[in-house]
Amino acid sequence: MARMKFLCDADRCIECNACVTACKNEHEVPWGINRRRVVTLNDGKPGERSISMACMHCTDAPCAAVCPVNCFYTTADAVVLHSKDLCIGCGYCFYACPFGAPQYPRVGNFGSRGKMDKCTFCAGGPEADGSKEEYAKYGANRLAEGKLPLCAEMCSTKSLLAGDGEIIAQIYKERVVKRGYGSGAWGWKTAYRESIAS
Amino acid sequence: MRTRLAHIRFIIGALALAFVVAVAAPAGAQDRNPDGSVNPTASAVNEEQLLNALRGGAVSGRVTIPDQKAATLIQPEGQVWRDFHEVTLRWIGLIAIIGMLILLVGFYMWRGMVMIQSGRSGRVIVRFNGFERFIHWMTATCFIILAITGLNITFGRPLFASAFGSEAFTTWSQWAKYAHNYLSFPFTIGVVVIFLMWIAGNIPNRTDVEWVKQGGGMVDPSKHPPAYRFNAGQKMMYWIVVLGGTAMAITGYIMMFPFYVTDMAGMQFSQIVHGVVGVLFVAAMLAHIYIGSIGMEGAFEAMGTGTVDENWAKEHHPLWLEEQKKGPAAGGARPMATPAE
Amino acid sequence: MLIKRTERQSRRANLATALTQPSGGGLDRRTFLRRSGLAAGGLATLGALPLGSVRKAAAAGPIPGAQTTIRKNICTHCSVGCTVVAEVQNGVWTGQEPGWDSPLNRGSHCAKGAATREIVHGDRRLRYPMKLVNGQWTRISWDTAINEIGDKLNAIREKSGPDSVYWLGSAKFTNEGSYLNRKFAAYWGTNNVDHQARICHSTTVAGVANTWGYGAMTNSYNDIRNAKTIVFLGSNAAEAHPVSLQHILEGKELNRANFVVMDPRMTRTGAHATEYVRIRPGTDIPVIWGMLHHIFKNEWEDKDFIRQRVYGMDDVRKEVEKWTPEEVERVTGVPGAQLKRVAEMLAKQRPATMIWAMGQTQHTVGTATVRASCTLLLATGNVGFSGTGANIFRGHTNVQGATDLGLDIVTLPLYYGLVEGAWRHWSRVWETDFEWFRSRFADPKMMNTAGIPSTRWFDATLLPKDQVAQKDNLKAMFVMGHGGNTVTRIPEAVKGIEALDLLVVADPVPTTWAAVSDRKNDTYLLPVATSYETAGSRTASNRSLQWGEQIVKPIFESKDDLEVMYLLAKKLGFADRMFKNIKVENNLPVAEDILREINRGGFSTGYCGQSPERLKAHMKNQAKFDLVTLRAPKDDPEVGGDYYGLPWPCWGKPEIKHPGTPILYNTTLHVKEGGGTFRARFGVERNGVSLLADGVYSVGSEIRDGYPEFNLGVLKKLGWDKDLTAEELATIQRINSANPDAVSWAIDLSGGIQRVCLEHGVMHYGNAKARANAFGLPDPVPVHREPIYSPRPELVAKYPTLPDVKAQFRVPNLGFTVQKQNVDKGIAKEFPIILTSGRLVEYEGGGEETRSNKWLAELQQDAFIEINPADATARGITDGAWVWVFGPADTRPKARVKALVTERVGRGVAWMPFHFGGWFQGVDQRSKYPKGSDPVVLGESVNTLTTYGFDPVTGMQEPKATLCQIRAA
Repeated sequence: MARMKFLCDADRCIECNACVTACKNEHEVPWGINRRRVVTLNDGKPGERSISMACMHCTDAPCAAVCPVNCFYTTADAVVLHSKDLCIGCGYCFYACPFGAPQYPRVGNFGSRGKMDKCTFCAGGPEADGSKEEYAKYGANRLAEGKLPLCAEMCSTKSLLAGDGEIIAQIYKERVVKRGYGSGAWGWKTAYRESIAS
Repeated sequence: MRTRLAHIRFIIGALALAFVVAVAAPAGAQDRNPDGSVNPTASAVNEEQLLNALRGGAVSGRVTIPDQKAATLIQPEGQVWRDFHEVTLRWIGLIAIIGMLILLVGFYMWRGMVMIQSGRSGRVIVRFNGFERFIHWMTATCFIILAITGLNITFGRPLFASAFGSEAFTTWSQWAKYAHNYLSFPFTIGVVVIFLMWIAGNIPNRTDVEWVKQGGGMVDPSKHPPAYRFNAGQKMMYWIVVLGGTAMAITGYIMMFPFYVTDMAGMQFSQIVHGVVGVLFVAAMLAHIYIGSIGMEGAFEAMGTGTVDENWAKEHHPLWLEEQKKGPAAGGARPMATPAE
Repeated sequence: MLIKRTERQSRRANLATALTQPSGGGLDRRTFLRRSGLAAGGLATLGALPLGSVRKAAAAGPIPGAQTTIRKNICTHCSVGCTVVAEVQNGVWTGQEPGWDSPLNRGSHCAKGAATREIVHGDRRLRYPMKLVNGQWTRISWDTAINEIGDKLNAIREKSGPDSVYWLGSAKFTNEGSYLNRKFAAYWGTNNVDHQARICHSTTVAGVANTWGYGAMTNSYNDIRNAKTIVFLGSNAAEAHPVSLQHILEGKELNRANFVVMDPRMTRTGAHATEYVRIRPGTDIPVIWGMLHHIFKNEWEDKDFIRQRVYGMDDVRKEVEKWTPEEVERVTGVPGAQLKRVAEMLAKQRPATMIWAMGQTQHTVGTATVRASCTLLLATGNVGFSGTGANIFRGHTNVQGATDLGLDIVTLPLYYGLVEGAWRHWSRVWETDFEWFRSRFADPKMMNTAGIPSTRWFDATLLPKDQVAQKDNLKAMFVMGHGGNTVTRIPEAVKGIEALDLLVVADPVPTTWAAVSDRKNDTYLLPVATSYETAGSRTASNRSLQWGEQIVKPIFESKDDLEVMYLLAKKLGFADRMFKNIKVENNLPVAEDILREINRGGFSTGYCGQSPERLKAHMKNQAKFDLVTLRAPKDDPEVGGDYYGLPWPCWGKPEIKHPGTPILYNTTLHVKEGGGTFRARFGVERNGVSLLADGVYSVGSEIRDGYPEFNLGVLKKLGWDKDLTAEELATIQRINSANPDAVSWAIDLSGGIQRVCLEHGVMHYGNAKARANAFGLPDPVPVHREPIYSPRPELVAKYPTLPDVKAQFRVPNLGFTVQKQNVDKGIAKEFPIILTSGRLVEYEGGGEETRSNKWLAELQQDAFIEINPADATARGITDGAWVWVFGPADTRPKARVKALVTERVGRGVAWMPFHFGGWFQGVDQRSKYPKGSDPVVLGESVNTLTTYGFDPVTGMQEPKATLCQIRAA
């Protein structure tokens, strides 16, 4: 069974934000919710690197661990999803998440931040695959159609990789060998407790 | 446990520090060309080096969207907070609350109810007027609900989620959260009024030293240590309520309006304070409830009817009783504590 | 634990059913997805809690039960030519998928490409025609609009002549739209017709064409994969052409290539460089000459290449000698050792390529800078082979095509020039009497007089009548698909807008034209379809033509550009003549017919072989083209042997199946396989020195040396005229019955001369040397000239700009006077910071369209200025704070923007993105937009601050090097 992962090759990422708008486009994500974002480190300095970040679908996901109501679940593909019907909008997952993935429709209305929203690895939610309810709450379910997340599919420089962890790790390793440098598979150690030797 | 607490303390300053380090941790000198000009590829920031340099601090950069929280790429502190929430807090809560219960049961079995030694006199004296009692009970009711709904957030899922089923537990938790949020307002008002209302009688003084020396009379029932309106034990409870309540209110409102006044580290810290103070508060209140009910004969009336038996007063608050008998002109007595007749 | 209900098997089953179902276009994946507003259930019943739905109720999304059709078009936001794959249901564009098959983008997009769906269905578009009535936007019908506009145009023509109307077209037109717009101006009777190329690559086109023949990128994005050394001078491709970085970064990795970025800013491209060189804005020529100095000094030049294929390199040598490392460092700030290293890479680690964009072109010395770059490539033998070349990244989908098709003040379609022969050529193609054209112009002389550049239109409006070299001032602007905030000196442009008798803006969005001025009347807004609602071909930067299908019908009351032009031509009375050979269906001219007409006349530039049928076959067979060579396997029945998109020149008639030319001037290929030579465009000799190539020729050539261009006479001399068919010969004789021998390859409508030459392996345009000395241009050998607003007054005396000209493109160019005044007045002291401008990845051009796209607008919500920390600290400016930026022009303009304090810019340099508009000198102009059509994000335009200064060859403005002062707001 595939173990789905994201990998951002920072030596390819040019902060073009295609992943961000592809996500908006595919799921009609409203203004203010950023399921995916690009962070630039050392902005404007030599050594600047940009990294596209969203939910990494962690092994032993912190969000799921701290959720007071157990709204998270992991699919057979190891994608971490959640149920908006169960979410109470407490915001704890955001405190625990190492990657700032959870998003909330409101900044804080007497503690109700609305139903948490996050990257689904284009795999929808608990509703029936491809149902209108699923689309309304979580957006498209590309995985069910045999497609991978659109952010990675549309990445301008093929920096953002999505898919089976072993395959994308292999792709990254080969790149590093070929070009002779690599700034690391960002977030992998935190999310999957493994790093790719480079 | 020690290391964990150290971690928690570290969180406070971590974010600010992290930013500084992130900025200051670019390339080494070997990444430059022979003439000193830069080679941006070779000097690229490397994840492993950066994380090592930050020693657990957050990796931050620049984002163009206004949400500056998004500028944090990786925040390892989340793991520390998760550990606190899942492990540390549960242990503290368990020890404090269960420990207190065990203590109280043990004490009750050893000492039983503290009786009025000289028996009831039949004469009563007003101890708390209607307003005071209203405030007390309003605050107390809020506290109990806040405590239960609060404990639910930390202990509810492992205890009940599977038993109730996800949907039912969520529905309950959702309502619990609303109750927790909205009842915080009357609770906070209660704490503020309590602070103002009883501050005069709760300034620690020399009498308290004597009272503490005599163990508050709890150990040796024949002894009746001196006390004005509030004895040292009650003063302690007063300050636990005022300070603890303030801490709960401040951290609670920070969490209710997330990121308005603080950043991620501040939010995590607020939750930590709220959690720790919360469970300790619950433990303390258990003791308060005990002593105000089955722990002592004649105590409940003070908040129940508002009056106490004179003999009870003589044994537990002799100095206060003297004041009351001298009348309002005497120093230290509060007009509102004057008998109603 | 909640487990996802569906198992993998059932998912596969879904996919399998979808694949086996007979659906219209590919995977019918969203058939069962339904639109819905709110999902009820669970906690939604709790009332107080709005259930977190990520979807807003309005706008597009999958439609219930509808058939999904896949349509392909081309992204409009830069020149890479990314294929956009649209899923259409019930006529609504409901989803975008990666266009994996395209060899240009392989499924990839940038932020803009991945958000194009919103451009079409966005709610900020113009919905119906409107006009200003006493300052109020009022809805009118299309009929009213066309009638009123037509009457007003005729009145202006009557009173002031045809040259008082300016037709400003667009790089977002299809080739057919661009061509039709140029043709329209010809039928109207003016050469005042222009588009965005004026302000982006006009200097490139002029510079490159004057060096070796054609004004375009020599190689392709894909071919950069072959380079060993890649030098960016004046390009931030990572933000301006993000998908090109896919090829460039992969090439860099595979070849371990040198990746050199020379730029005033450490750009996003610079972040991936192996060498970053910081230069002072406006000193590109000294930087280039500095490199060449090292090359000549160390004899690293390619001597054989220079001897065989370059004219005038010795003249360059003399100029370059002056640029010692010390002088270069003094002028540009680049250390000699670093420059030497880059020069050595270029010369020794070949193939090497140079990449540029606006950083080189947008200067008063733009053309000269481009020629210096070409010279550097020529000196190191880096042109005409795989992995080499001048890779010039253009800015819009079709800015290359629009330039080619003559949407320009100096030429007729396909660079035929403004000469009688050219007019006669197109008269033959258009089957319209040459004399009739003559009658349409104010006087016959104006027919051959270059028009007013789009950078100067408001000067032509505001200057005293006697200073404008035409019958009267400009009185009307007819703007199609062109922003108003893209030209420098906006405070003056605003006055110009207010002085116009008529302003018509035909665009999907109102643009700043509609909002920036205080006009009260005589202003029209016509809603026009976006490029995605238009069928036709687009020419990418690499000269590949791609056919885009109409994705959806124009929404609201929008009309296709072609239809607008037709309706107006009809109103103005020349539609029958103009559309003589073009079928018109329901007022919409058929794009295929227009392309066929282009094919019939487009011999000069090789736009003759790309028939609509061939282009459509390419789009259908995208997957067959190789990623690196762009070539399809020879045995393919439909596109066998073709290069993707038949990159021009694609010679001869479509039937001879020339495969296109992926690399210009490539002598290592047979001309029938896309090979070529430098063009013999400038004569055969000069001062006794031959201009023809010396001992080199393309593979398989029957002439084994340089040769001039061909006409029937030359064919006869070689005895090759016998190879012409009778039909071809008859056509040639018809063209010039008096002297058929003079009929050249470019005006031979039979294509016979080209066909016969190709058969003999020779290039009909000749085989010449490229010119390092471009005699005939100002500064035939490029020399450094300080910007008009130079930060180094002490250098102005040594490197002054060219003298004033009274009438350059019909208006005065007073650069010298302004530069001198600036030195005298000490402007550089008062405005000590160099201001330069550039592109953000999220927006494009003036930005009205992209700033109206909420997915993009969210990512850049404020106009800003990048300031070096040292300059910021000295002024008490903190990151994110508001600042006032003051411009040095006499109008004393100012702009209020946010500060971005960063080391990206060097000390004393500030940078602003040029996409913002809708604020003017601190005032929010949102209320001036028609209600509901205001862009999501507004901000100050950098061009409020940019200043005077124009390239003498093209009228290019100078927004890349001016001065400013910054204060905390």
